[in-house]
Amino acid sequence: MKFHHWFVVAACALLAGCGRPVSEATPTAPVASTSNAKTPTPVSLMLNWYPEAEHGGYYAALVHGYFAEAGLDVTIIPGGPNAPVVQQAARGAVDFGVTNADNIVLARAQDARLKALLAPLANSPRCLLVHEESGIERFEQLQNVTMMMSREQGWARYLVAKLPLDGVKIVPNSASLAPFLADPRAAKQGYIISEPFVAEQEGAKVRSLLVADFGFNPYTSVLMTRDETISQRPELARKMIEASRRGWEKYLADPARANERIHELNREMSLEVLEFGAQAIKEHCIEPDVQGDNFGRMTSERWTTLVSQLEELKMLEPGVVDPASLFLAE
Amino acid sequence: MKSVREIALVVLPPIAFFLLVILVWQLVAQIGQIPKYVLPSPIAVGRAAWNGRSALCGAITLTGAGALCGFAASLIVGTLIAFSFSFSKLIKAGCYPYAVFLQTVPIVAIAPLIVVWFGYGFQSVALIAFIISLFPIITNATAGLTNVDRDLVDLFELHNASRWQVLFKLRVPAAVPYLVTGARISSGMAVIGAIVGEFFAGYGGMRDGLGYLIMDGTNQLKTDQLFAAVLASTTLGMAVFTLVNIVGATVLSRWYHA
Repeated sequence: MKFHHWFVVAACALLAGCGRPVSEATPTAPVASTSNAKTPTPVSLMLNWYPEAEHGGYYAALVHGYFAEAGLDVTIIPGGPNAPVVQQAARGAVDFGVTNADNIVLARAQDARLKALLAPLANSPRCLLVHEESGIERFEQLQNVTMMMSREQGWARYLVAKLPLDGVKIVPNSASLAPFLADPRAAKQGYIISEPFVAEQEGAKVRSLLVADFGFNPYTSVLMTRDETISQRPELARKMIEASRRGWEKYLADPARANERIHELNREMSLEVLEFGAQAIKEHCIEPDVQGDNFGRMTSERWTTLVSQLEELKMLEPGVVDPASLFLAE
Repeated sequence: MKSVREIALVVLPPIAFFLLVILVWQLVAQIGQIPKYVLPSPIAVGRAAWNGRSALCGAITLTGAGALCGFAASLIVGTLIAFSFSFSKLIKAGCYPYAVFLQTVPIVAIAPLIVVWFGYGFQSVALIAFIISLFPIITNATAGLTNVDRDLVDLFELHNASRWQVLFKLRVPAAVPYLVTGARISSGMAVIGAIVGEFFAGYGGMRDGLGYLIMDGTNQLKTDQLFAAVLASTTLGMAVFTLVNIVGATVLSRWYHA
């Protein structure tokens, strides 16, 4: 029977699909000549969200073979809402993870000994979207609006602590833009490298207020690992940092191939929005004059600021986390 | 009067089991040197609960109100639907499959839509609690109203009883134990529904339900706070369950002593 036949094929395809890891192995990478040609080291890298432009450099390192050239067989594991990337990395269930700087601080306060290795997005893309017609141009003007945001997160607490927010109703963030688009008096959290573009595509005129400009600016899409990796496998950490750095520099210069891969893995991200994202990262998140070995390097001032902000927001007991323990000073 | 021995047999085993679990948990967490972000010790959870007691109490009140409103609505609406099912075979045949449909709706998928339709806030939280707790009431009340001894129905009809008399004098009394069973199941589900509702709908202010405390604990990797919030949720669920049991036992004893 035709239907039956079709069903069996579909079931097989489904099973085959399920059997594959939810990840990407290194493809046809140009294998380097001598020493690295031996069996590459398997490495897992877990993301904090579905693959998007803010992970572009890691995918660039994968598709352009930089991980392979470093002798690393990297598997990138996509995350999602509440993906336990910090826990998995701290336990060593994955070798490396990608998260934002504030999560590393909070993790360390809970004895999850993680360290940041590379901060490709020096400035946070976190923004609040408002409609142009609202006339709101600064955070201080947020009054009588409905703010759709994850109130438990550090940046949101920072806004709540620093702003008067008269007549503001704070409601949970929604994955969809629809509730925001329907309400001209709404403000919604997003990343400046994606949501403004999608909103404009939907015909809305929006303005983005960057939280970093308002003073809360954690490093974003940070490559991290646990302390043990650095003490026991320093060579691996070094290779991972270098290959990721190369990937990010490539992504900022020519994001096309990495974006194709991201689009394959996350169909919600069109090639147009990814192209916009890569441009927006260059525009908003990267220090323009920082290149080469200095790309992604972190400063203790920035980490110290972040720690004291989190302490001030009562997300952290004072003195529990030493800023110097949070990142690898190369 | 129950003897002291009888009461002790009911009360002591759960307490002993509880203490045993806590003891094993503490030992595992301590001896196994499990990091606190993976499994906090019961002492750490107790400390987190004590330090956050005012937030927890406020959250229990808020979430409890949402759950109780949804639960009460599901009791009323579910019973009315069951009445209509028992009244007409046609209505039952036509609508019952959709009641089953209601049970299989993935609530997390439609919760965002409910927020779009009904707005952010308490009403949406209560509505989600209502949807998730409605089905057990419908099925159990329908079963109670329809599974009546055929001979008794014949007896009523022999005496020219009207449809309404059959309903209120025969079917309803027979359905009460079923309804109580349905309410027991629904009571716990209403609490879960309210928490899920809070994930999506919130309360539009600075008031925190248990759903928010759970998200907060997760986000900050404060697993002890997360456990405290989960324990508060289960305590709330058990409180509603106990309330239903007490009301149910009272109603049943009145009904069957008469």
